[in-house]
Amino acid sequence: SELPKELLPGPYPRTPEERAAAAKKYNMRVEDYEPYPDDGFGYGDYPKLPDKSHHERDPWYQWDQQDMRHNWGEPMHWDFDMYLRTRVDTSPTPVPWHTMCKHFLIFLGTMLIMFGVGEMYPSYMPVGPKQYPFNDLYLERGGDPNKEPPVVTHYEI
Amino acid sequence: MDLTLLMNTSMLLMLTLIITPTILPILSSTSKASPDTTTQAIKAAFLTSLVPLTLFLYSSSDNITYCWQWKFITNFNIPFSLKFDQYSMMFFPIALFVTWSIMQFASWYMATDPYITKFFSYLSLFLIAMLILTTANNMFLLFIGWEGVGIMSFLLIGWWQGRMEANTAALQAVLYNRIGDIGLILSMAWLASTTNSWELQQAISVTQTPTLPLLGLILAAAGKSAQFGLHPWLPNAMEGPTPVSALLHSSTMVVAGIFLLIRTHPMFTNNQTALTTCLCLGALSTLFAATCALTQNDIKKIIAFSTSSQLGLMMVTIGLNLPQLAFLHISTHAFFKAMLFICSGSIIHNLNGEQDIRKMGGLQKMLPTTTSCLTIGNLALMGTPFLAGFYSKDLIIENLNMSYVNTWALLLTLTATSFTATYSLRMTSLVQTGFTRILTIMPINENNSNITNPITRLALGSIMAGLLITSYTTPMKTLPMTMPLYVKTSAIILTILGIMLAIELSNMTHSITQPKQNLLLNFSSSLGYFNPLTHRLMPMSLLNTGQKLSSHLIDLSWYKKMGPEGLTDLQLMMTKKSTTLHTGLIKTYLGSFALSILITLLMHTD
Repeated sequence: SELPKELLPGPYPRTPEERAAAAKKYNMRVEDYEPYPDDGFGYGDYPKLPDKSHHERDPWYQWDQQDMRHNWGEPMHWDFDMYLRTRVDTSPTPVPWHTMCKHFLIFLGTMLIMFGVGEMYPSYMPVGPKQYPFNDLYLERGGDPNKEPPVVTHYEI
Repeated sequence: MDLTLLMNTSMLLMLTLIITPTILPILSSTSKASPDTTTQAIKAAFLTSLVPLTLFLYSSSDNITYCWQWKFITNFNIPFSLKFDQYSMMFFPIALFVTWSIMQFASWYMATDPYITKFFSYLSLFLIAMLILTTANNMFLLFIGWEGVGIMSFLLIGWWQGRMEANTAALQAVLYNRIGDIGLILSMAWLASTTNSWELQQAISVTQTPTLPLLGLILAAAGKSAQFGLHPWLPNAMEGPTPVSALLHSSTMVVAGIFLLIRTHPMFTNNQTALTTCLCLGALSTLFAATCALTQNDIKKIIAFSTSSQLGLMMVTIGLNLPQLAFLHISTHAFFKAMLFICSGSIIHNLNGEQDIRKMGGLQKMLPTTTSCLTIGNLALMGTPFLAGFYSKDLIIENLNMSYVNTWALLLTLTATSFTATYSLRMTSLVQTGFTRILTIMPINENNSNITNPITRLALGSIMAGLLITSYTTPMKTLPMTMPLYVKTSAIILTILGIMLAIELSNMTHSITQPKQNLLLNFSSSLGYFNPLTHRLMPMSLLNTGQKLSSHLIDLSWYKKMGPEGLTDLQLMMTKKSTTLHTGLIKTYLGSFALSILITLLMHTD
């Protein structure tokens, strides 16, 4: 039925014998075994495995469970559900992280600034106000024929 | 003869025809569905849908059909009403035509799949959800269709569920669509609280809508139509089978976001902020996707980025206050994009699963029909005069040039137009021309009519659709008629520039021997670094926080601080304070006796 008491996760190992027993329990070598620090967060003697996702494991190696890239009895990471192949990928990127951040933020910043500039100086087909002849249609608009119409210039040279 | 009744009856008949092959096997034990019956049903539905289309074009009578009213609460009713106006009437035949061709193609492509019947029923369920979305007259039905297409997209992208990349891609599609749904629900909530109805007639009667619900709608469209910021799911959705990419992620599902904006367009008309947001977002999306498409090597990814770019162009059209033109582009785009995907599917299957264009070449002689139609599709995409794409794309560019727009948005869109020509020509030349780079023994043939018929049918559509649709629809806004020659020919000049760029680059590859990495190449081929940055930071931080909160913080606070450890702390504090009083001197004890007697006397006298 259930696992026997000695195979369940236990308290933080304090003595070297406890460490060796814990390493054997988790199928790890004593040199590789490193528990989480004992700061009251309840990790106990669970090993602290490197934070590497399953994307980094060799896809061509014949794992016991090929889709999970996991061998039988291998200790699973505390955050294994984050490091699955369908979740976070921690594999090294072709371009360094700071370069990626820098280039992307430069791209985004340039775009936003240029959109702002484009708002300040929009593009439109040139238009002008309507211009009427005969002194802005002075007589047609009911101007006095005896008076001198005001001079209207629609352009400046 | 009551034309409206005939129109409505034929529309409902058509919807019944589509749903029958899926529902009938569940209801009756004798009838079994098969890919052929589903294809024939969709073909019959297409032919039936031409009847209401013809009636609509000659009578131009929009109508709304009320089926049933759900009395939600006392003063809030949700009528199940379907709106048959120019958008839904025009969309039905196009969607059904494309789906019919894709299903016929899928009966060849997925022939070796053991669950092919389930695949076809998924495709028809998707089609039903899409048609509900397009005919919905209120936001509730639209939301049903919206979620329906999202779920079917998830199921269809993750069709080969043993494949981890497909599962990741399906999950990504759902999550990005969900982020867009936040915006949609925000707008629906605002609409329900302000106009007390989810009917679109009520929504568009509000002349001055505040910007927040409009931004919600734009977010919804950005999520569904893969605009910049919520775009990574679309290229990754190519993990699904090619018929899925052809139907969902080129013609129908991804236009749902744009369709939402077209339906709610009167709300946007007076709000310049929302329109400018659409314009800038669309321009950025179209250029970003076109830049990424330049350096892709997977044929399906190139076509996916091309779709993303065209969606950005549709968003630009919405930002120009031209919903009808956006719809025209949706319609013409459906034809040639579906055809491009089907051609690529035919090529991939014939090359035994090879999707890398660096390992194709010289297919023109081996697959003449497919490659000719690929060329026609690419020409239509580039906006070659008088093919389908020209009627919509050229009009959009003309309107863009003649409007009062953000200069940078204009420049980005024009650059994206020339990039479209560049990557289309790159794909065509690497796939069809040149020396063949495929494996030596490959049984390539297109003798099956299930391949050639859909492709040629869609090719005919790509050539004729633009002309037919523009001949029969009356424009609702006056388009600019007079413009300088350089503006009129700007689209074609930019396309030719793009072609020249592509030819120059391909000529350069004959002389340069060692490819080097440089800044722009890395930026383009890594898709702008957007994917690694967001897909590593966000899930990592969210999952970590969730894990720590759920296992550590909650455990720490509730089981320790609120329980034993908290009590311990309080007790310790109290005991430390009170032990100072336990000095062992009689005087202190006499003093505490006197104090307590005094307090008791005081309490009793009060």
